[in-house]
Amino acid sequence: MLINKTANADELTIALDGRLDTSTAPQLEAEVNSSLAGVKKFVIDMDKLVYVSSAGLRVLLKAQKIMNKQGSMTIKNVSAEIKEIFEVTGFDELLNIE
Amino acid sequence: MKLKNNFALKLLAGVVFVMAALSVIVSIIGYYLFTRSIVHQYSNSAWNTARTAAIYVVPGLVVNPRYDVREWQARSNMVHREWQRLANTQNASLIYVFRAYGENYQDIEFFTNVAGPNFPSEVFPDGYKIQQKDQRYLHAFKKIYEEGQERVEIEVYRAPSPEFPSGNHITVMIPFKDNMTGEILAIIAVEREMEELDNVRHGYLRHVLATTAILLVFVIFLYGLYLKRNLIAPIRKIAGEALRFAYENKKPDIPLQSEIKTQDEVGQLALTIDTMESDILNYVENLTRVTKEKEQIKAELNVATQIQADMLPRKFPPFPERNEFEIYASMNPAKEVGGDFYDFFFIDPDHLALVIADVSGKGVPAALFMVISKTLIKNRAQMGGTPAEILHDVNNQLCEGNEADLFVTVWLGILEISTGHLISANAGHEYPALKRVGGKFEIVKAKHSPAVATMEGIKFKNAELDLGPGDLLYVYTDGVAEATNSQEELYGTDRMIEDLNKNLDADPEELLINMKREVDNFTGDAPQFDDITMLGIKISLHNS
Repeated sequence: MLINKTANADELTIALDGRLDTSTAPQLEAEVNSSLAGVKKFVIDMDKLVYVSSAGLRVLLKAQKIMNKQGSMTIKNVSAEIKEIFEVTGFDELLNIE
Repeated sequence: MKLKNNFALKLLAGVVFVMAALSVIVSIIGYYLFTRSIVHQYSNSAWNTARTAAIYVVPGLVVNPRYDVREWQARSNMVHREWQRLANTQNASLIYVFRAYGENYQDIEFFTNVAGPNFPSEVFPDGYKIQQKDQRYLHAFKKIYEEGQERVEIEVYRAPSPEFPSGNHITVMIPFKDNMTGEILAIIAVEREMEELDNVRHGYLRHVLATTAILLVFVIFLYGLYLKRNLIAPIRKIAGEALRFAYENKKPDIPLQSEIKTQDEVGQLALTIDTMESDILNYVENLTRVTKEKEQIKAELNVATQIQADMLPRKFPPFPERNEFEIYASMNPAKEVGGDFYDFFFIDPDHLALVIADVSGKGVPAALFMVISKTLIKNRAQMGGTPAEILHDVNNQLCEGNEADLFVTVWLGILEISTGHLISANAGHEYPALKRVGGKFEIVKAKHSPAVATMEGIKFKNAELDLGPGDLLYVYTDGVAEATNSQEELYGTDRMIEDLNKNLDADPEELLINMKREVDNFTGDAPQFDDITMLGIKISLHNS
């Protein structure tokens, strides 16, 4: 999975490309742990993401919890398949999906 | 180990060969130079004799025909006398004067010949003529007559024989010229025996060879000692130490570097061997420890797997005295310990709780979280309330201090046995599949809530369903729906429903075993990262 970061003042956009699963989730978790300090607006662009596993959901949840304290988190360009994963797991109620 | 080839011997043999070759070459050069020097001395001696002999020669002596025989005889007698004395004192074997003429100068006329004391045979009488065939002599005559050389030498090396009684000798020739015209009238020749040459040369050779041999032995001895001390002994020591280490794998009593302290390659080798040995020992020690630790962890994980498995009800049928339903469940962890679990238990004699759940994440953390979740759900369920209420409380409890951000998807159902009424709550879990009696399996969709332990205070929703006799409910975790084959294709719920419907008469046990096999067939050799957990319950037909 590729992670593409764009920072602009206190806004951070991360574009994900590939599969967010057990083997790639630690990459995103490391990114979340290191890059979110001082960020007010966090956007995750899932345009090129094809799959999210429960390990990936856990990292998204972790990021959401961090952003709940310091600003807002938005997920955009979600494909139909991933939207279904969010709905089945109930994550559509926890995450702010555009 | 016995060495077949001793490298000290090889080194020595090389040196001996080179030295022997060198001394042979030096001896040959010395022998040649020495011979030349001795021959040169004889030559000079003969040349001096010839020049002295020339003083007595006058042109009248060497002409033919002799005009005045008396005067010629008197002169000849005087020359004879003087030459005889000269030959005796100068050790010349022959002094003679002659002229060479004719084709190639092969006709010789001797004018006067005198033999020295050592000359072993008769001399030619005065005026004697011969034909000279020896090319060396003819060549020498030509040099004098045609090339104007003032001194010509002929060296003859041979052992004395009856035909040629003189042995090694040298003949020096000088021209005798007319004072007025410079015409060469005759050639004066002195033959000098080189009687000492062989003796001196052989003596030289003997001395040189003997000296070389003694020196060679001495040098070999010293070189051998030197090699032994500086190369052979230390290398033997190193080789021995390496051999010892290979067999014993133990620290040496005395390290090589304290015995071999030279700063050269041998010293470096000793140091390297010492370092290598201690590195190997450290490495082995580390490896042993790590392996031991790993073994221990593995043993502990095995115990943990057992404990985890023991936590799930595995005795089937679990309630032999209850014939209203058939139930079966299975869990196959992808790693030693998994995050999936199922559970079923009676809340009261008429209410059976059914749980299937999947903790996000893998391994030991997931397993620990699973233990807490399972315990909390069972304890809370037994206090009464709807599934939504139960999950609400469990969620709030799990959210406390959940620093690892793990969560668990749960499907919790409570079945009223007497009526077949099922109330369930779905916290982010897969949709159940239901087969009505006489029908086929279908996914039952109901409103989802987020997974348990994601956010505090989540309100969960209950869904209600009535099960009749012969109905079969199948719940599962994402290890089934998201099993992946080597082409990265998902098994998916469509394929799952298709496989569920392959045998509509199967009871829950048969169904679950079949489904596990179908999933395994689909994934083939592709490694699976998710636990595979399923639960099936069928309302008995005679339950009414």
